[in-house]
Formats: sequence, structure tokens, C-alpha cells
Amino acid sequence: MADPQVKQIGKYKVEVIREKCISAASCVVIAPGVFDLDAEQIARVISQDGNDDETKLLAAQSCPTMAVIVTDTESGKQVWPL
Amino acid sequence: MNPPKQYRAKLEDKQQLNERFVQYYFELVEPNELVFSAGQYASLKVSEKGERRSYSICSSPAVSHGFELLIDHQPAGVGCTYLENLQFGQEIELLAPLGIFTIVADEAETSLALVATGSGIAPFRSMLLERLQVVKDTRPITLYWGMRHANTLFWEDEFEELAQSFPNFSFHPVLSQAEQAWPLCRGRVTDCLNTHEQAAGVGYYLCGSTKMITDVSQTVLAKGVTEQRIHHEKFY
Repeated sequence: MADPQVKQIGKYKVEVIREKCISAASCVVIAPGVFDLDAEQIARVISQDGNDDETKLLAAQSCPTMAVIVTDTESGKQVWPL
Repeated sequence: MNPPKQYRAKLEDKQQLNERFVQYYFELVEPNELVFSAGQYASLKVSEKGERRSYSICSSPAVSHGFELLIDHQPAGVGCTYLENLQFGQEIELLAPLGIFTIVADEAETSLALVATGSGIAPFRSMLLERLQVVKDTRPITLYWGMRHANTLFWEDEFEELAQSFPNFSFHPVLSQAEQAWPLCRGRVTDCLNTHEQAAGVGYYLCGSTKMITDVSQTVLAKGVTEQRIHHEKFY
């Protein structure tokens, strides 16, 4: 079964740095098709294509600890955090 | 809770609370209404590059046409430098409301202990205004606020006025480096919590340094409080 943490669908790929997550859940509120909280209330990626790229980026930008990394899979460059 | 939206707001006013803390007042431009729960935060775009910083809203949810933020200017990072340079009337971009650090709807929490250090007081001002003035919450609510010196305190007059107006509210400022004449609690907020008897059924809400959250959590857990009754915001 494919690992949603590394699956690459769409232009932007998101990853969660578990150690930085403080369970604010802003990513889940903004992009519920991409993120949810695991049993430890830490954000995780459940799908790379559950929301559009703009929403994924906004979800990452909303994180108070910048625990979500966004990479442009076409250019290979990190889009967020700057 | 209401889903977050992107807003534009303009700087309406700011008040230097002391040499370290500044309170900013923003009026919404578009959309012109922000419905939030006390304890939630806003994510502000603080540079042309798109860098963002998150700040707890410190105003009452009863005011939906604007919001207030408390900013700690030490250390002077990109966020506070951006805000410091804002001109009156200048617009900012933000995403709000965000966060889940709010008073839970749990009737088993028969009283509330709000424990803050430093700028961690910001969400509690909003919560107090909401609980006391809007919701008319009659449960005992106690605010413990740890700072270093008496001259670093602010909002203490407002909290004392609330305590006079609402008999169910108590305010305990705690100073770690108190001057000789300081008549109230000294040391850490954990010392103050230990000094004052804690009733059964207290819901603890913690906001401040990671060390404070860890220390207070351990203190109250040792007294038999369950983890479900301890709520905290950790991004300070």
C-alpha cells in the first residue's frame, strides 16, 4: 500500500514534521482532505490530492510552528516554509 | 468553530503597554466580520516574501468588526518588526480564525484555572471577556499569570476591575523576581498553584513557555488531575 506521506500527486507535495507539530489542527481545518490528526493528535498526511494546491499551501502557511513542508514536484523546490 | 478565511484589515491603533509589550488594534476591511472563539489565533503575512507569524487574538469575540493582538517585542523577530513599522491605516493580510485552544464544553469542569506566563496571557484576556461578559459563565475562574517584575505587568487594572465586577473571577499575578514590597505570590506559577487550594473538577488551561506547561502539567497530574482536564497552547 502506498505511503501517503511520500505519495506525489499534483504539483505540490506536503510533508509533516512530527516533532514540530503542536496539534493546533489548523492544517486539518483548512485542508481536511489532505491532513488529519493521528491517535497522538499529531498531524499526518492522509492524501496528497484531497485538496487543491492552493488549499494545501494555505494549510501549511497556517501552521504556527511551520511543521508542514510544501515542495513543488515539478521544480523540486521547497515552496514553504520560505 | 467557524472555518478560517483570508482577511484584509487595517491598523487602527496601537498602545505601548510597557517597554516590551504592544497591543495592536485592527479594523477589518474585507470581509468585515470575523467570528471566532476566544483562544483562537490569526496567521499574519509579515513580509512580501510571504512569511507568516501566528498571534493569539486578545480581544473579546463580542467584537466582530475588528480584533486586537498582543505583541512581545523581545526578541525583535520578523513579525514584530513588521508590525512595529506598520503605519496607521495600512492594511495587513491574515488568515483567521485558527486553533483549537478554547474553553471546552465540559460540564464536569466545575471551575477553570487559566495559567499563563509572559505573552501567553493574550488568549486568556479574550477568554475572560468571553466567559464573564458574553457567556455569563458563573463557574469560579482563576487567572494565574507569571511575570518577572511588577513593572512588566500590564492589563492588571482591567483584570482587577473584572474581579471586582464578577465575584466568580480571581486574579493572581505571580512575580519570579519580585521587589521586597510585592504583597502577592512570588516564584513560579506552580508555587502559586500550590499555595492556593485547588478545588475538584478544575479544568486547567495553560499558555506560555514549554517549561511552564510541563511543570504545571506535572504538578496538577501529581494531584490527581486527569490529562483530559489539562488544555494547552504551545506555540509561545
